[in-house]
Amino acid sequence: MAATVPAIDVSDISYSYGDTLAVDSVSFEVAAGEIFGLLGPNGAGKSTTVKMLTGQLRPSQGSIHILGMDSSVENTEIQARIGVCFEEKNLYSAMTGVENLKFFASLFGIKPLDPMPLLERVDLAARGGDKVSDYSKGMRQRLMMARALVNQPDVLFLDEPTDGLDPVSARTIQGIIREEAAGGTAVLLTTHDMYEADTLADRVAFINQGQILAMDAPESLKLQHGQRSVRIKARRADGQVEELAIPLDGVDAAAKVQRAMAELDLVTIHTEEATLEDVFVAYAGRGLDA
Amino acid sequence: MNLGVIRAIVRKDLVALTRDQFYLFITIIGLLAFVAMYWFLPSSVDETVRLGVYHSDLDTALGPLTAIETDALAIERYDSPDALAVAVGEGEAGIVAGMVFPDDFVAQAGSGTATVDLLVPAGLPPEYAELMNGLAAQVGYFVSGTTPPVDVTTRTVVLGTDRVGDQVSMQEQMLPLLAFFVLMMETFALASLVSVEVQLRTVTAVLVTPARARDFITAKGVIGTLLALAEVLLLLALIRGFVGDVPVLLVALLLGSVLVTGIGLLAGASGKDFMGVLFLSMTLMIPLMIPAFGALFPGTAATWIRALPTYGLVEAIVGVTTRGESWSDLSGVLLLLAAWGLAIFALGSAVLRRRVATI
Repeated sequence: MAATVPAIDVSDISYSYGDTLAVDSVSFEVAAGEIFGLLGPNGAGKSTTVKMLTGQLRPSQGSIHILGMDSSVENTEIQARIGVCFEEKNLYSAMTGVENLKFFASLFGIKPLDPMPLLERVDLAARGGDKVSDYSKGMRQRLMMARALVNQPDVLFLDEPTDGLDPVSARTIQGIIREEAAGGTAVLLTTHDMYEADTLADRVAFINQGQILAMDAPESLKLQHGQRSVRIKARRADGQVEELAIPLDGVDAAAKVQRAMAELDLVTIHTEEATLEDVFVAYAGRGLDA
Repeated sequence: MNLGVIRAIVRKDLVALTRDQFYLFITIIGLLAFVAMYWFLPSSVDETVRLGVYHSDLDTALGPLTAIETDALAIERYDSPDALAVAVGEGEAGIVAGMVFPDDFVAQAGSGTATVDLLVPAGLPPEYAELMNGLAAQVGYFVSGTTPPVDVTTRTVVLGTDRVGDQVSMQEQMLPLLAFFVLMMETFALASLVSVEVQLRTVTAVLVTPARARDFITAKGVIGTLLALAEVLLLLALIRGFVGDVPVLLVALLLGSVLVTGIGLLAGASGKDFMGVLFLSMTLMIPLMIPAFGALFPGTAATWIRALPTYGLVEAIVGVTTRGESWSDLSGVLLLLAAWGLAIFALGSAVLRRRVATI
């Protein structure tokens, strides 16, 4: 019975900043072990939604259940079992990495904490004794990730966890996200990086102007709303290279591809599918960076 | 209230403060400066009135003056009218006035009238100059050997504390002000600590754990009060300020520390950056310094000064260290101080709670 309870169950929540409706009747569920991506441009309502889920804001309507607990009643109990990684690097910069982890562990009542396993996971074992003020942006982000894990959370909220990071740091964090999900932790990831969401998330929801526009597995969304094609570059008789695309969803697609391969002097040939960005534009009428 | 969380935040703040070189520099330099200033000030009050006199034949003519010299009145003899004028004009050796006796003073006195030049410094209050005139006449009687027809003896009845021989020294007058300066320094430190948590949003990270806003605010209140109290106690230890009824003094300083902690929370929660916090702290603290400055000038404080939140703190410090008062004398001002301290702490906490909720 308990296994069927979603790790995150959001029902019809809304929130306004004054007269501005930031989140408008949003509902979704995230299962244990699932990576759920909340995608949208800046100002779409992602951060406000996460603030409500992590207990920083109280929704003006609707209900939130985390691990089966009502957030309006059992917020403290919920916060003991979640981990949050913020977009801003809100670490204590005068303290070392080890001291930051130990301090946050003590807020969860975890004493003593051995910080080394966590620091090793985020490749900071050698720098744990250094002050955070001496850390690079990537190192700070990795320490933020370690901090979110000090209480071995059942639900992880990650707000733009790889934004602006170098590829090595980004890969480290993405690896940890996959490991946590594999271990049964529900992960809610907010990002405007469609590639990251596509490669990491089991399901995604597009959010724009406070409303969820679509929600499904990335592959399904692309299949439903995108167009597959074969893109060919071929050399003409005059030496110029021309480019053409053959849609794969047409009835005679295979015949067209065969004919092109037989008749043209091919330079390159690639299959192409719609990106999540294309799907988002189809729904929202705008790009993620708009 | 989660005591483990509060303890963890207090410990973390202590670590942060000990690594804040600006805070350490200001605190150490400030304390040393206040202690040095205190010991530099005179620790006693010279109650002797020094009068300078000149006569061409000092030993003969002014010899009888030795008869009227007491602890309260000292007669200094000068070799020339010019030297006496310089001494009076510049307040040299504490000379408050000078009398230049003419060469034929004794002969004049024999005829029944005599004129003496009384030298007083510019700006001497008229009533004080009048007093000097009377004193000069007395000196004239002694020099001429002529006594007044009636010798009136006065008996002094002091209403209130008789401070003769135990005047309030500059050190004692400065003590409340120095204590207040130390508390004010701590207000800046706490305001800065709170402001950094809000601006860098580390408080947000804390509040998505089992730590509640009330735990965070309580921890800030504890660290602010402890640091303020510790520093002011250190100051008093260094200037040997633990005199009189020490328990009353400790309670007054504890309540004062709570009061300035409330102001620190208020300024830290309201300021948008370091300069904003500094400006707000100064704006709040300057009016509160008035009672401490008022203690430099003896007399009854004006009603509006009595209404200021820090009046009770200053009055309690002065009462214990200067007037030797205790619980029964100071319970009223201590209650007033407690009420102000709790009210301002509650206000500071409420503003910080609201600020944290709206990040």
